[in-house]
Formats: sequence, structure tokens, C-alpha cells
Amino acid sequence: FLSRGVEFLSPFLPSKGTKRWQRLQIRPLLFFLSQKGLCFGGAAASMAEDLVLDTAIRDWVLVPLSVVMVLIGVLRYFVSKLMRSHQAPDLKVVKEGQVILRARNLRAASGFIPAKSFRSRKTYFTNEENGLLHVPKGQSQNAQAQMFSDPNLAMDMMKKNLSMIIPQTLTFAWVNFFFSGFVAAKIPFPLTQRFRGMLQNGIDLSTVDVSYVSSRSWYFLNLFGLRGLFSLILGEENAMDDTQRMMQMSGFGFDPSRVIA
Amino acid sequence: MVWEGDRGASGGAEDDLPIFNAENLQSNVKSIYYSRTFLSIIGGVIAGIWGFTGFTGFIFYFLVMAAASFGLATQAKFSVCTYFDSWNRIFLDGIFGGLMSFVLFWTFAYDIVHIF
Repeated sequence: FLSRGVEFLSPFLPSKGTKRWQRLQIRPLLFFLSQKGLCFGGAAASMAEDLVLDTAIRDWVLVPLSVVMVLIGVLRYFVSKLMRSHQAPDLKVVKEGQVILRARNLRAASGFIPAKSFRSRKTYFTNEENGLLHVPKGQSQNAQAQMFSDPNLAMDMMKKNLSMIIPQTLTFAWVNFFFSGFVAAKIPFPLTQRFRGMLQNGIDLSTVDVSYVSSRSWYFLNLFGLRGLFSLILGEENAMDDTQRMMQMSGFGFDPSRVIA
Repeated sequence: MVWEGDRGASGGAEDDLPIFNAENLQSNVKSIYYSRTFLSIIGGVIAGIWGFTGFTGFIFYFLVMAAASFGLATQAKFSVCTYFDSWNRIFLDGIFGGLMSFVLFWTFAYDIVHIF
């Protein structure tokens, strides 16, 4: 039931006399529609008619795009794993971390030891002269300043950001170059007209339902929807961490792997 | 599938404030997350095949999530203290995270079955 092509007959010009009439014929557009009452010339309000799209679109646009994005995600995960520079942990930092851990355990288990022992332990940590955790007022560094002054950490963060941005940009450019100008998919729920500019960027018809979207929106849908899939197939530490952090910062979305910091 | 992964998170039944084993709690929360993600993907494919459109699809998604919550509550033997630290973990956690995956697979299945 897929009828091929649309041939527009622009008004053929009947001739006067002996000139042959010419029939102008526009090459079939890239999206093959079977017209079930879809009228292009008229400006009638379009009902929710069902466009039937070519199977070729499904075979050559939807599936390859999804497969490519999954593969790029997997590739990025492995590349970031390989590129992670392993640095020997600093002894001082490890010591401090262990002291903090011990103090935390003390705080958590404070109900189990007698009050006197708790107080003595607490003083051990916090007394003014030689308490392990006591930091004089002016010396405590801002954690963020410390983070930026450490070159390794900054390098790691930049590498992670870069490994995130470059494949996204490249894939987006590829999608725009190859897959623009036709209807790629239909999203099953209705949207308002305001989304039309965002979702149908390559399609120049204004009467087509907003549910019929271009491949650019399929790319974005994949971008957000494949995070869950990646977390299933790649284990918890995968390269989509930045997106999760981004979503956390924007307020919604809950990152369960960072519940207990 | 992930039910076996639940581990008791709070031990030492003391007076009021239970103590949580952080590692077990995190592992339990992670297993909830995985199960919700998996269910949202499967639910998306089912919704697409059955041809839900519009609000029906979203209602189906929340139904699936509610069923998942109920299953989790049953598995946790209806006592929140044994495995988690609050009821919110079981019921509200990760619902909107799975929404995007649901929409993606719903669109995909719906298009393949009904449009193409």
C-alpha cells in the first residue's frame, strides 16, 4: 500500500494552435506520500490523516541512526576507559580521607559506645592543638579552588567534556547533512503548534501535522532516550555521566548512583 | 531478575535512628533504577505495538511504573526500613528518568508497526 512518488502536475499550458502542451513535472520529492485526502494546493485545515511513509525511510534512516548512536556511545565508553590516566594517589590525600572516614564512622556509631569514650574520641579529633581534623580559621581552602589548582583533575574534566561534545557535534552534523528535508517519524502523541519550528526543521509544509517530525528530532529523541539503555548495557560507570550531571543541575531527573555521596 | 540483588540495608535495630549500610543501600537503589529502566523500555515497545497514542500512552507508562513500585514493595516485604531509607525510594524514584527511554521506544515501535 505504498504508492510511489508524488508527481505534481503544474498547470499544463494548453497551447494555441499547434504548439504542444508542455507538462511540467516536478521530480518526486524525497518523502513519498500516499495521498489519503491530503491536499497540497488548498489551505484547508489538515485533519489527523495518516500519512503512510516509505519503508525505505525506516530501513535507512531510523534504524541506522539508532544503531550508530548506540555504537558511538559504546565506543566513547571504551575510549574514555582507555584514556583515563592513572595517577598514583597522593599519600597525604589518602591519609586525610581515611581520617575523615574514621570520624564519620564515629559519628554514625556514636550510640554504641559509652559517652565518655565518645567524648574522648571527639576531643582527639577536634582539639585545638593537635586535633587531626582541626583546621585554623584562615587556612582552610575552598574545595573548588583546590580542584582547579590541581592540573590533573582539570585535565580529566576537560577530557571528559571533550569526549562528550565531539561525538555529539559530529553526529549532529552528519544527521543534518544526510537526513534533512523529509519526514522521518511520527511521534505518537500530539503536540502544539509551537513545537513545529523545533521538530520539523527541514519540512517546508505548514499543514502537515506536528507529529510528523524530521530526523533531527529523532536524533534528539535518541540522545535522551538511549541513556537508560547505556546504563543497562554498559554498567553504572559509563560516559553519559555528564548528561546526568547536567540534568541534575537543571533540576529534574534523579541520579540514583550518586545517592550516597 | 534483579530481585535477588536486594540486600538488607539497615542493621542493628537500635532505638530510633536506624543505621544504614551505605553500600547495600546504594546497591538496592541501583537495582531499582535498573529495573525501572528495563521496564520503561519494554513498556515503550508494548505501547508502540498496541498503538497507544497521546495520553493513553503516558497513562500506560505510569501504570507500568505503579506496577513496578508495587512489585518492589512486595519484594521488600512492605517494611521500608529493611532495605531502604524512605518510602520515596520505592515509589517515586526514577519515574521520570525512564520517561525518555519510554518515549523513544514507544515512538520507534509505533512507527515500525503502524506507520511504515
